Amino acid sequence: MADTLNVALREQLGTNRTRQLRRTGQVPAILYGHGEKSVNLSISIAEVNSAIRRGSKVVDIRGAVSDSALIRDIQWDAFGSTILHLDLTRVSADEKVHVTVPVELRGEAPGVREGGVVEHVTHEIEIECAANALPEKLVVSVNELHMGQSVVASDLELPEGASLLSDADAVIVHVVEPVPEETEGADVPGADGTEPEVIGGRKEGEEEGGE
Amino acid sequence: MALMPKRVKHRKSQRGRIKGNATRGNKVVFGDFGLQSLEGGWIKAQTIEAGRIAAQQYIRGEGRLYVRLFPHRSITSTPLETRMGKGKGEPEAWVATVRPGTVLYELGGVTEDQAKVCFARLAHKMPVRVRLVRRRPA
Repeated sequence: MADTLNVALREQLGTNRTRQLRRTGQVPAILYGHGEKSVNLSISIAEVNSAIRRGSKVVDIRGAVSDSALIRDIQWDAFGSTILHLDLTRVSADEKVHVTVPVELRGEAPGVREGGVVEHVTHEIEIECAANALPEKLVVSVNELHMGQSVVASDLELPEGASLLSDADAVIVHVVEPVPEETEGADVPGADGTEPEVIGGRKEGEEEGGE
Repeated sequence: MALMPKRVKHRKSQRGRIKGNATRGNKVVFGDFGLQSLEGGWIKAQTIEAGRIAAQQYIRGEGRLYVRLFPHRSITSTPLETRMGKGKGEPEAWVATVRPGTVLYELGGVTEDQAKVCFARLAHKMPVRVRLVRRRPA
């Protein structure tokens, strides 16, 4: 079931007013799409946080506007701890939408016992799916993954009617040999106390030009 | 061995100022957990290497450590007991410029508890205040 967000209309716009709004525990948002007029909204930060932490993509909007919306974009602050703004797009239940879905690993790979390391290469993939069937995440079992084996995007089990938009050959997870720890002084520039080469600089032994 | 660039356009640079927060390199991209700087500053190549070794020795090939820093900038110094003048000193060290919010290291393939312990060891080496961060929801 989709999360519900209680929204209020936001009439006072601009940087200053928006900052004041954030200080009162609200998040500014905008609702657009379906050829209708865009609406400026404000939503309680607690409701937004709980919906986003749960991985909700489609939310029911109640209050000043009643609609079903897709969370299209989230703006975070520089530290990634506070949500600054939400972009919501109107969607109908059976409408196909493009979304990025997180990929989660489950189980224990037998390749680890063989001395390998499970490397989660792709953490998110893009899919096209009906709005009412959007998965919160895609789960990949690594129980069958031996050393040197991998799971690619086309191996993922998608919800019915969904199609993959990301590269089908993209590696999601693989079991590889652990990267050996770098040995001291091995092939690192400056290891022998030299300086980096200066691009366009004079080489040693080259005569100084000019008068 | 400490990192440094292979080729540079200029050997020396002016000091500059670190203004504002990081707008790039402030997300966990490769691993599951990251060590985020809460202050701005310069981190020397030797310090980056010390942090890498501290973390690598803890995870011991179990997970994967990603170093998100590179020391692109040289810092110069004049030798001791040198008279004033005679121009800018010679490059002495290479540093990475860090703004508040920059993700310094990342860890993948480990549990959260392991990442906490690993980053706590690493944090002791850092000249800036840091904290553990997770991936942002998609």
